[in-house]
Amino acid sequence: MDADAISERLRRITAPDVLNEWELEEQAATVAALPEPLQDEVLRHYQAIWPVSHGLAALFLHHLPQALTCLAPEQLGDWTKAALAAYEQHGLRGADLFLAETEKNFLCRLRGESALPFAAALPRLRPYVHALAGPLHDLDLAPATSAATDTATLFLPREIGLFKEERQNFLLYKLLASLLWAQVASGTYRWAPAPTADLIQEVAARYGSRPDEGLPALIAYFRLFPQPALAEELFVLTETVRLLALLQRELPGLMRDAAALFPLLLAQRPPFPEASDQASVMEQLKRHLIGETKVGDANNPAPPALAAAGELLLPLARAGTTPADTAHAAARLYEIIAALPGPYQATPPLPCAISFRPAEALAVRTRRQHEEKTRFITALAALLPSAASPETGETGEDRPPPAARHQEADTALLLPGLAETEIPRPTVLLGQGLETVTIDNQSLALPPELQRLGQRIAADLGQVPPEYVAAAAGLAGSSYHPHASSPITEEIVIPPTPLTYDEWDFRRNGFRKDWCLLHEKEILPTKGTFIETVSRKHRGLLLRLRRQFEMMRPGERFVRRQRDGNDLDLDAIIEALADTQAGQAPSDRLFVRLRRDQRQIAVVFLVDMSSSTEGWVSTAIKESLFLMCESLAVLGDTYAVYGFSGMRRLRSELYHVKHLDEPYNDLVKAKIAAIAPQEYTRMGPPLRHITRLLTASDAKARLIVTLSDGKPEDYDDYKGEYAIEDTRHALIEAKNLGIHPFCITIDQQAHDYIAHMYGEVNYIVIDDVRSLPNRMPEIYRTLTG
Amino acid sequence: MEYAEQKIEEHRITSQPFYLPQGDEVVIARAAYRNRLPLLLKGPTGCGKSRFMQYLAWELARPLITVSCHDDLSTGDLVGRFLIKGGEAVWVDGPLTLAVKAGAICYLDEVVEARKDTTVVIHPLADDRRELPIEKLGELLLAPPEFMLAVSYNPGYQSVLKDLKQSTRQRFVALEFRYPAAAVEEEIVQTEAGVDRELAHTLVKLAAMTRNLKDAGLTEGASTRLLIHAGRLMTDGIPPRQACQVAITEPLTDDHEMLAALDEMVRSLF
Repeated sequence: MDADAISERLRRITAPDVLNEWELEEQAATVAALPEPLQDEVLRHYQAIWPVSHGLAALFLHHLPQALTCLAPEQLGDWTKAALAAYEQHGLRGADLFLAETEKNFLCRLRGESALPFAAALPRLRPYVHALAGPLHDLDLAPATSAATDTATLFLPREIGLFKEERQNFLLYKLLASLLWAQVASGTYRWAPAPTADLIQEVAARYGSRPDEGLPALIAYFRLFPQPALAEELFVLTETVRLLALLQRELPGLMRDAAALFPLLLAQRPPFPEASDQASVMEQLKRHLIGETKVGDANNPAPPALAAAGELLLPLARAGTTPADTAHAAARLYEIIAALPGPYQATPPLPCAISFRPAEALAVRTRRQHEEKTRFITALAALLPSAASPETGETGEDRPPPAARHQEADTALLLPGLAETEIPRPTVLLGQGLETVTIDNQSLALPPELQRLGQRIAADLGQVPPEYVAAAAGLAGSSYHPHASSPITEEIVIPPTPLTYDEWDFRRNGFRKDWCLLHEKEILPTKGTFIETVSRKHRGLLLRLRRQFEMMRPGERFVRRQRDGNDLDLDAIIEALADTQAGQAPSDRLFVRLRRDQRQIAVVFLVDMSSSTEGWVSTAIKESLFLMCESLAVLGDTYAVYGFSGMRRLRSELYHVKHLDEPYNDLVKAKIAAIAPQEYTRMGPPLRHITRLLTASDAKARLIVTLSDGKPEDYDDYKGEYAIEDTRHALIEAKNLGIHPFCITIDQQAHDYIAHMYGEVNYIVIDDVRSLPNRMPEIYRTLTG
Repeated sequence: MEYAEQKIEEHRITSQPFYLPQGDEVVIARAAYRNRLPLLLKGPTGCGKSRFMQYLAWELARPLITVSCHDDLSTGDLVGRFLIKGGEAVWVDGPLTLAVKAGAICYLDEVVEARKDTTVVIHPLADDRRELPIEKLGELLLAPPEFMLAVSYNPGYQSVLKDLKQSTRQRFVALEFRYPAAAVEEEIVQTEAGVDRELAHTLVKLAAMTRNLKDAGLTEGASTRLLIHAGRLMTDGIPPRQACQVAITEPLTDDHEMLAALDEMVRSLF
């Protein structure tokens, strides 16, 4: 093709929008410069990109010549798809970055040589951490710039790409997660200043500083040193030595695997030649941590400081060390290093190093302690007999007004034994191991949940503080309810987060990733006469349907002439005897067996609630749904009813009428009556959602029955061929998962497109809307019979 | 009945099975036996219920007849039925009838798996009547004092449909079995699998990790039985990581991501 022909094609693709003439020429020239066989393919991709983003289409052509220098022509399709995915995830800028670096962003990934992103490691890492931490520490994982933890969440790097192999990169993730777990489990952040008050005093005296009370203990401790940054780095280093030794004991396999990584990390570590003695000793210590054994050589012997440091660190590898030991060792180490010529420069952190976040940890801890305290007190109080019960002689009138009680109870939390002395309180003692509680000399087993909570509190604070128990006793004595005064425990109703679904784009033969948002909504049930009217109107039909469906009900029956069974089949025996007499070989099928037939069917009715169903159609659909539900109540099949509507891709809505496991009752009836036309018909997201729901069902036959009145259509470009192709693809996805879709439509033009969507036999067109209530149960019977 | 006599001897347990009590279960079971009360054993799979029954049968010197229940188990399968032999209908006792006649211990394993109409036949046996009607023969068997009925089930994973009926539950002395405490479990694994203390310790640690994932990806954590399997493979020379993979992680789940995560745990510990 020459440039003119290409310009013409481009003009046709971009119509009705128009490109600037110079832009068109430039793009046509780019395409014309390509080898002839490629031109056509490039134009096809361009055509797929154009409706998604005009800017992206321009960028695509702009970066194409450069990309083709390293791309094989058959990779072009995948490259285009990856670019579209990048656009949908990160916008035009992200797509530009992707297109600009084909080698790094596309080809490396194809060869599996890329960095391992956090999201890819998460599915393996999350269960690993949960298993490691157990129920005592409820740890979550989140991506961040560096590895650290606030004791509730383990933060891990967004991606790790230090190694060539995915396996090695994952191993580093695992090592970091294990180190962070060790940090939480061995109580790095629980280290309160109390046990090492003498150390703090000593350090403060040595450097003439004063501890800052307002700061978290660790930060205050670092600030005691003239160079807090050096003190912190030394503490991190020393603590890492301790934690690695702990992992060595607890997870020897992990450390054996990790030992293979360390030489690679060492080789990658940049040289650090122009350093002061302080920095160089630090660097050597770090290198030592990842396994460098060679310290110094003949020309450049190891400084004596390093040997001294090594001796300090050695005892930390022993079992039973605490963060307090780390603090001691770090303080000694600081003395040794600070004595060397400076200045101190920070050396790059080790890739397997974790950073410290004492402030965040403190915040999390305070919050958790508060929550646990409230929960523990409330739960324990619920166990205790109320002291205000009539036997104690107290009447309601004697009690202080509610406001005063709140205050008193609050005081009771702080000053056990001082407040509320006038209310008789049970004496409460927690048993050893938190398994029992003794109330007024009566022993009572603690429920397992409370036991676990108590253990968590004990793990955090050393024991369950007596004031918790006292507060619970006080709480049981009054009717004080901690929720009333504590805003933290107030329940906040979080709206359910929308679900994302892909959408099929036939033009590019690929998915638009996470393109649609599906919101699950409730239908507000209406009180009205609809159900009553329908029951009256179709009384005869209802009776008939009930009888018909009753006959389909699974039953028990005897099957005769079995090889094995519950009882003898007399007829068969007589026959066999006769056969023997007649000299023929008798049959060995002489038993009857009781067989139970089970209808293992799960069906979802998906109702089109688009605005076009206004009027007769909507009423007919509602009537047939009601009759259907009545019939199914007799039959006992599992079924669900959902309506769908919405507008644009970000607001696809699924209305819940009845879930699969929900019983059929008046509320469901009222919801059926409340089904009303809404907006548009974007079929893909609800179909994909229902498919997902049905995959979880273990029924043998799974069905989606769609009730519709027309083509799928939405306010945006979801119409025509695009909409039909997406719906068709969603249905194919369902079929691939063993789900059988069926469509009941009243659109007289449906023959044109519906066979393409559902397949030749999987639909029925109802000629007269009014006959729908009659026809639908019948259709269902044939479908599942 | 000679036929039955011969058969019942096969059910006698002659050598002492290894069993480490988790609590007072042996004392309680003895008392229940003396007072002719049936036993209900609850607990996750592979935690020692069946082994406990073997031990009890050995201690009480009674034959043990175990029936693994399934959803096609009919009354005939338990009580007995007519079979055709050489042109004649011959009555053959089912395991339950056999146990009643011989004064044995009848142990219905995973009793909830059986159909509800089948479990009802044990009702008259499980209360103070202690009788077994055999409808097809028109007989009523009275259980001798030596006879004991025991059933087991796992409350953990069965669906609500397969819950035990109240009328069935409320006839039994119930013993709850859990996974043994770590120290006890180590000793069990050590003895049963013939591994050293350290390996047993690590195996138990792995089990604890998988049990932390119950309902968070796994329906059940690794049972003591799986640990013993892994330990035996190791004793036989299979490398530890591989032994854990084939004996613990693969039997636990089919989910690929979960398998990968479990594999990471194994790789961390061994």
